[in-house]
Order: sequence, then C-alpha cells, then structure tokens
Amino acid sequence: MLTIKNLHAKIEEKQILNGVNLVVKAGEVHAIMGPNGSGKSTLASVLSGREDYEVTQGEVAYLGKNLLEMPPEARAREGVFMAFQYPVEIPGVSTINFMKTALNKIREHRGQPTLDAVAFLQLMKEKMKLVEMDQALLNRSLNEGFSGGEKKRNEIFQMAMLEPTLAILDETDSGLDIDALRIVASGVNKLRNKDNAVILVTHYQRLLEYIIPDYVHVLYKGKIVKSGTRDLALELEAKGYDWIKTEVALA
Amino acid sequence: MSIVTDKNNLIQEIQASFVQAGFGKDLRRQKVWDMFLTNGLPGPKTEEYKFLPVTRVLEKLILTGKDNTAGKISSDSSTGIIKNLNSNVVAFVNGKFSQERSIMLDTELKIQQGAVEETVTNTDPFALLNQAFAHEEVQITIGNTKTLQHPVAIVYYFDSSQFSFANPRWRCTIGAHSIVSLMECVVSEPDAIYFNNKQSVIEVGENAQLEYTMIQNGPMTDVQINNSLVHLSSSARASCFTFTFDGQLVRNNLTLTVDGEGVDAHLYGLYLLSKNTIADNHTVVDHKKPNSCSNELYKGVMSENSRGVFNGKIYVRPHAQKTNAFQSNRNIILSDTATVNTKPQLEIWADDVKCSHGCTTGQLDEEALFYLRSRGLSKDIAKGMLLYAFAAETFATMKNETIRTFIDGLVSEKLQNNF
Repeated sequence: MLTIKNLHAKIEEKQILNGVNLVVKAGEVHAIMGPNGSGKSTLASVLSGREDYEVTQGEVAYLGKNLLEMPPEARAREGVFMAFQYPVEIPGVSTINFMKTALNKIREHRGQPTLDAVAFLQLMKEKMKLVEMDQALLNRSLNEGFSGGEKKRNEIFQMAMLEPTLAILDETDSGLDIDALRIVASGVNKLRNKDNAVILVTHYQRLLEYIIPDYVHVLYKGKIVKSGTRDLALELEAKGYDWIKTEVALA
Repeated sequence: MSIVTDKNNLIQEIQASFVQAGFGKDLRRQKVWDMFLTNGLPGPKTEEYKFLPVTRVLEKLILTGKDNTAGKISSDSSTGIIKNLNSNVVAFVNGKFSQERSIMLDTELKIQQGAVEETVTNTDPFALLNQAFAHEEVQITIGNTKTLQHPVAIVYYFDSSQFSFANPRWRCTIGAHSIVSLMECVVSEPDAIYFNNKQSVIEVGENAQLEYTMIQNGPMTDVQINNSLVHLSSSARASCFTFTFDGQLVRNNLTLTVDGEGVDAHLYGLYLLSKNTIADNHTVVDHKKPNSCSNELYKGVMSENSRGVFNGKIYVRPHAQKTNAFQSNRNIILSDTATVNTKPQLEIWADDVKCSHGCTTGQLDEEALFYLRSRGLSKDIAKGMLLYAFAAETFATMKNETIRTFIDGLVSEKLQNNF
C-alpha cells in the first residue's frame, strides 16, 4: 500500500529526515517510535502533505501513485488520514457542518453518491458511539474549548466517518488519561480491517498495549535504525533508547 | 507621477451647482455654505480623513467623470435588493424624496417632508454640504408603544443619465416602548455615477428597540459618505449593523449617543473588500449617562488592492459611572497590496467603568487551512469556510430573519467569488 524509499526532508534549511525506508501493506499496523526530535512527527507531516516541509530526496508511493505530488486534499480523498497531535481549534465552523462537506467531497471522489442531511446524521450517530462522543460536542465549533481528550476523540471520530485506507496517528496518546486512551484505542481497533493500514507515531509503549502493532520501528536521527515486532517496544520500555543510540554510534 | 490636488476647482464646481439651484437666495443655506467654505474639503493631512483620499476621488468624479452611461432602472418599486422582504419603503431618487416610489405597509408609520432645520452643529465638511444642498428633511415617525410588523427600508435609487450629487436627509423618531427594524441600501445600475452624501438621525425613545442595518453593496462606481447619528434614551436597546461589500469609496460616520441609563447598544460591522474599494468606518459611542453598556465588533477581510480603515472612539463622560463599553476590530488581509489602518480611541473621564478595546490584523490561519484540507476540502472551500466563520459572527445576532438570511447569502457568495 505504502512504500517509502530513501526519504529526505527538511524544514527551513534544517535537515530532519535522512533516508527513511518503510513498506506498509494492507491489514498491517506499524508503530513508529523514537526519542524526542528524531523526526517522527516530521514523517507524519510529510505523508499528510504539510507544506512547511520540503522533500529533498526519495519517493513515496501510495497505491501505486506518487503521494508527494498530491496536495493535502487529494491525499485525503485518496484515503490518507492524519490524526493530528495538536488538533486545531476553529471558531465558527461546527464539526458537523465541516464533516458533512468533507465526507461528501471524499464520496464524490470515490464515485459514491453524496449523503443528504438525514443519511449523514444517521451515519454520524453510529460513528459517535465508537468513541463515546456526545452530539452536543459536535454541534459546537470545531475543537473550540474541547479538553485534550475530547480533541483526540474527535480525531478518531473523523477517522471513523471518512473510513481511510491509510491512517496516520501522530502521538494520539499524548495528553490522554487512561480512560480516554482506552476509548480512543478501542475506536481505532474497531476500524481496523484487512483492507486498511495504520501508522502509529508514539513515544510510549502504553498505547501499544491497546492497539497491538504488527511491526515496531525505531526512528533516530531521521532514519529507521531498528525494526522488529511488538517485543521491540517492550524492550524499549524497559531499557530506554540509549542502547539503540549506542548501537547506531558503533555501526 | 504625482497627482495635483486642485481643491479650488472642485469647490468652484460644487459652488456652481449651489448657485444654479438657486440655493444662494436662501439665507440658511448661504450661512451653511459659508461655513463649508471656511473649512474646505479634507486634505491628506486632515486627521479625520487621514486614510481616505476622498477629495481626490471627488475631483475625478465631479470634474472629469460627469457623463453617466447608466440607463434607467426599472420602475419596479420594490426594495430591489432583498427578495421576499415585505417592507415599508422610504424612497429617495437621485437624492430627492419620492412619494411615488415610497411604500407604506404599516399604518403606525408616518412620513412627512419637512424643511431642513438649522440644528446641526457638526462642522464635518460633508455634514455641512448635506445641510447646504439637501432638498428636504424627511421625517419618519413611529409613535409610542408601536411594534412595526414590517421593516422600514430607506432606499436610494439612482437612475439619472447624469452624474448625481445626492444629499438625502432624514430623521426617524421612535416613540417609547416601540420596536422597529430599519434598513438602508442603494439601488442602481452597475455603472451609475453618483455621490451619495447622506445625513440621518434616529431618535430612539425610552424602552424602545431598534435594529438598524446598512447594506452597502452598490456598484463598483459607488461613492458614498454616511453621517448617521443614533440618539438613545433610557433603557433603549439598539443593534446597528454596517455591511460594506463593494464600491469605490465608502465612508461611514456612525455616532451613538447614550443619553439615558440602562441603555444596551451593539454595533456590528463587516467589510469584505476587493478590487480597489476603499471603506472607512468611523464610529463614536458617547456615553453621557451612567449604568449603560455598549459593545462593538467590526471585522474586515481585504483582498487585492482594497483598503480598510477603522476608527473607533468611545467617550465616557464624567457622570457616566458604571459604564461598560467594549470594542473589538479584527482584520484579515489576503494580499500583499491590501491595507488596513485601525485606531481605537478611548477617552474616559469617569472612574468607575469597565472599558476594553482590542484590534488584530493578520492573515488567514495556515494551520487551520491545512487541517481542513487534510480532511479532503479543497483550498478554496477551506478558505471560504474559514472566512465565512470569521465573518458570520457580525450578523449572528440579527433578529430580522429575512435580512439576516439575505446577508448570509451575500457573504457566502462574495467569499466564493472574490476572495
């Protein structure tokens, strides 16, 4: 589904990614871990099309297409979804209104008929349950005055609505208490199937207790320096990142 | 190339029309005219018109651009701009009151033509010009304890094939406990050439409620200066809305005098400017009595070569203790060549008051734009959605649903096409 080859990227002359290679297949969950400043969020941003980053080398193929050539909205319509680490507050735009426009744009692109207000509300009510979200929250301005947990649940709600092929969750666990983490994780788990894939960007092992990854990768100094299974995450939790840094230094 | 301002020629030209109309024989008019001559037209250094090249625009208009190619507008005497709005109409045609084009739906409403009184002590050059040139003062009266079923639309029609220098003038008196919705707009052909120099006074009685909406959506040739005074008695409630969408040069002087206790006044403004439009809002909220509150919110979006100006004065007089007065002006600039000049001006003599002001000028929030795009919205739709959300706050509280729906539609359309 997704093939990243030798990806280099920089922001304002600061080189951050230094040759990332990654292959993600349908049905898989990949966790990307790594110490602060290793380039995890940059990778997520580059994949979702944030314009502040400049790709200097390498390529990203998504379902056989060149992902890097697409503007953010085209990526979304092709099924790429990013759950933001810091969801933006947008006063005056209600989540419902915004989601209805977004969903119908994506459905149009997929050649599906657009949903009328009744069908949309029905779908929305169904998806709200996934993340135990209250409708009153969705009637309000997008993320405005939401707690950290509510913002993250809103991200997963939007993911449920848009049914992406590739979901990138950028530190979705940061700022969540245990209950919210459980709700968010169970939402993601219910959305997993054999046709879609998830990339989890995270600092901690904690989230991986709830969303079990197929692969775990360690990103360090803008490169994937180690890959493994879930056991690697447990080892990192126990030993920290220092042993990996040492390994890299020796290599 | 420098533009030579030849004010004298312009004043001579205006004087010629003053004489031609026979106004010089009228002592009252002559007195006002002399006062105008003493002060002259505002130049680039005149503080109150610092960012508004009004004299230059008038020169071009009056000295060189007199031929009007606009044809007659249809004599359909509906308000012409808002569908389904059943309203009373007070019509001015090329600046003169027209009984023929006016419509009275509510019997509680009385319209009379009266002579221009010599009461204005305002030395603003355009207020003086209006006083010297106005044909009449139209008196609109609503008695005590009346609730008008329909809004009152004051419509300025321009259908002359000649350049029109229009000086409409009206006064609206709203009795105690009455409820009135007033709106104001220009109806003309797209290329009509005129200068609408309006002067109006609204007196809101005790416990009365006023909703006052000015819609400036004229042709791109639109040049207008509005001196609008609103006088509020005890416990009166007023919401004033000023929308400027298009035109060449629009200046609004909106002055609210809080002359009673328990007054609740709201001022909202929205200017969505494109092309070379210049819009200048000068507001004054003058708190003369204690225990009242005023709240002001003006927002602007400037694109292309447009220019916005906001100047908000709040006076709290020594007796006006326990006043709450708030003001906010927010601007979004979408191009490198658009500008905005904003200036809050608070003068507070009382010591037990709550007053605040704030102004911001920025660009569209890139992070919000990216967020919306990352969900599949095109850049244009995302931009439109953000701008609409920004703008909508200025008319969300409007009570007249037909007018609000009309404004809502107009804002959406403008944001889609011009920004």
